[in-house]
Amino acid sequence: MLVYKIVGLIFWLLIIPFCMGLLSLPLLGRRHRTPGVALLGGYILQFTLLEIVGIPVVLLAVYHGFSTFIKWYTPFLVVFALAGIWVTYLKKRKGYELNFKEYFSWKEVSWESLVCWLLFLGILGFQLYMAFTRASFDGDDAYYGVQALTAQRIDTLYRVNPYTGRSSPLDVRHALALFPIWEAYVGSMSGIHATIICHSVIPLVLIPLTYLLYYQIGRTLFKKSRGMRAMFMVLIALWQMFGAVSIYTTETFFLTRTWQGKSFAGNFVIPAVLWIFLCLFEKEKTRSRGLQLKEGWSITESGKGILGEKKEGYQGQAGFWLLLGCLNLAGGASSSLAILLSCLMTAGFGLLFALKERQPGILVRAALSCVPGGIYVLLYVALTHGLLIV
Amino acid sequence: MYGIFMESLVIFKLYTGLKPLLLLTLLMWLFLLVMEKNKTVRIVLVYAPFLVAALFLFPVSRKAFVAAGLDGETYYRVLWTIPMGVIYCYGACRLFVGHRRIGLVAACVLVIVCGSFVYQSQYISRAENLYHIPDTVVKICDRIGSGDPQVRVSAVMPTELIHFVRQYDPSINMPYGREMLVERWEYYNAVYEAMEKPEVVNMEELLSATRQEHCKYLVMGQEKQTDTDPEESGLLLIDEIDGYRIYEDPEVE
Repeated sequence: MLVYKIVGLIFWLLIIPFCMGLLSLPLLGRRHRTPGVALLGGYILQFTLLEIVGIPVVLLAVYHGFSTFIKWYTPFLVVFALAGIWVTYLKKRKGYELNFKEYFSWKEVSWESLVCWLLFLGILGFQLYMAFTRASFDGDDAYYGVQALTAQRIDTLYRVNPYTGRSSPLDVRHALALFPIWEAYVGSMSGIHATIICHSVIPLVLIPLTYLLYYQIGRTLFKKSRGMRAMFMVLIALWQMFGAVSIYTTETFFLTRTWQGKSFAGNFVIPAVLWIFLCLFEKEKTRSRGLQLKEGWSITESGKGILGEKKEGYQGQAGFWLLLGCLNLAGGASSSLAILLSCLMTAGFGLLFALKERQPGILVRAALSCVPGGIYVLLYVALTHGLLIV
Repeated sequence: MYGIFMESLVIFKLYTGLKPLLLLTLLMWLFLLVMEKNKTVRIVLVYAPFLVAALFLFPVSRKAFVAAGLDGETYYRVLWTIPMGVIYCYGACRLFVGHRRIGLVAACVLVIVCGSFVYQSQYISRAENLYHIPDTVVKICDRIGSGDPQVRVSAVMPTELIHFVRQYDPSINMPYGREMLVERWEYYNAVYEAMEKPEVVNMEELLSATRQEHCKYLVMGQEKQTDTDPEESGLLLIDEIDGYRIYEDPEVE
């Protein structure tokens, strides 16, 4: 039985998001077509779908909301995952491939970096061990944890007062943030109590996922000096562990309230916006189409482009803008504030990069990527101000 | 406006805990301000954090935040958009690029000395089970719960247990929960008033309140003082678990 549960968890927490993420890779630059980016992209897509499918169910289904949600959400996940596999298969026949090189080229890694990686893995292992064996008391669990369990056991979404168990009108302030419902979903699909999922399972997934995101940030920051990435990761892991200077920091949330949506907002959604903008405006050498110069021959500067010489430019921007648009809605799963912050960051970075590149079009793309988040905010305002009554 | 600015400054101080970790970030930010040549990185790690900090302290921002219908108590989360960790770690890597071994040791020591170890928190304890809730709660809930999510029972719980009960079994209703423990929320509940406010519980008042709420079970710590013996007041002592006495009220169906 335990084996089935573990297989279920691996399926719903790793395989499905990974396969979904494959769907986004062809739109990204060749450098970013890695399994790590696939998993991150998959989680962003998964939470986007969670909001798109879940919000109508929460608002419209008074009874049996959770079973209705499962009925709709599962096919979406499976179809997107299959589409990811299908797209990869089709593209592979045309020479497209995932970038696994980085994960298996350990021979190029210096012993210093190797020691750093081992140190990082040691710190990560310690954090996972502590997450599993230590209980962190937080009063908010009486709300979020119970919402997940109520969905799973009572089959209703945000229509029971989690503190007392009495029926109540839809809790419009929290009803659009479906992170607890996703936890209940993972629990139901793998046959595990939602509270165990929240406290013992989710940290084992979200902590490494956050480091995967920081690894991608480090990979972009240290594009040319690969050896520095390991040092960066050791410092980041240590910073997370010693960053609990107050109860308000993202670092405190990261290791003591990992399973709560607000922690996901601070430790995944917001760093993901940084990562996407770093990737969007990361210059890559691209080879233009053209004739190949015979070895040993030389040519003037103006002729290089014609002959397929490498030049610097941006690659895979469309994919990252799309991911950003999804992220600006997916953030709503964690909290309504996360959407506001990610959209504000998008607007701010959009403005700064538009000025840097002197391209007003960047602002337009930033604005478009905020549209899904904007619709969410409008819905939230309508619900909380009584303009829309459900 | 000045008052709002000062409030924001206090929130900022509370956020940073006035620990030297903030200083480390500031030093690395200055280093990047002077040394960073990559314009994309400058925008993300130098200009944007400065703008966010300035906007955070700007009084109109806080007014707009509250006017947007957001909870003023969560204003500190705007600071989450400043990637302090990334600024420090990236800055340290750049600073020590030529002396990686000594640099790594120095940067790690600085974080450890200037920071605060997250697992030192008084709220972290060894988990007693996979639920990460006290075993006592599990035993009590198993004793009184119906075992069927659709069949509800109602129980009054001691304040130290009420956070956990419904995290284990949502079929157990409670007349009051965590909302009564947060003073600033200013809720009122008759059962809570009778059970928790007086030093010695008046059983007649308590039972009158619990029966109105259809509470079948009352769980009391051993130290709880009552004016008359609960059993003499008509309750049945059905079990005693880890120092908690579980009473059943036969008058409630």
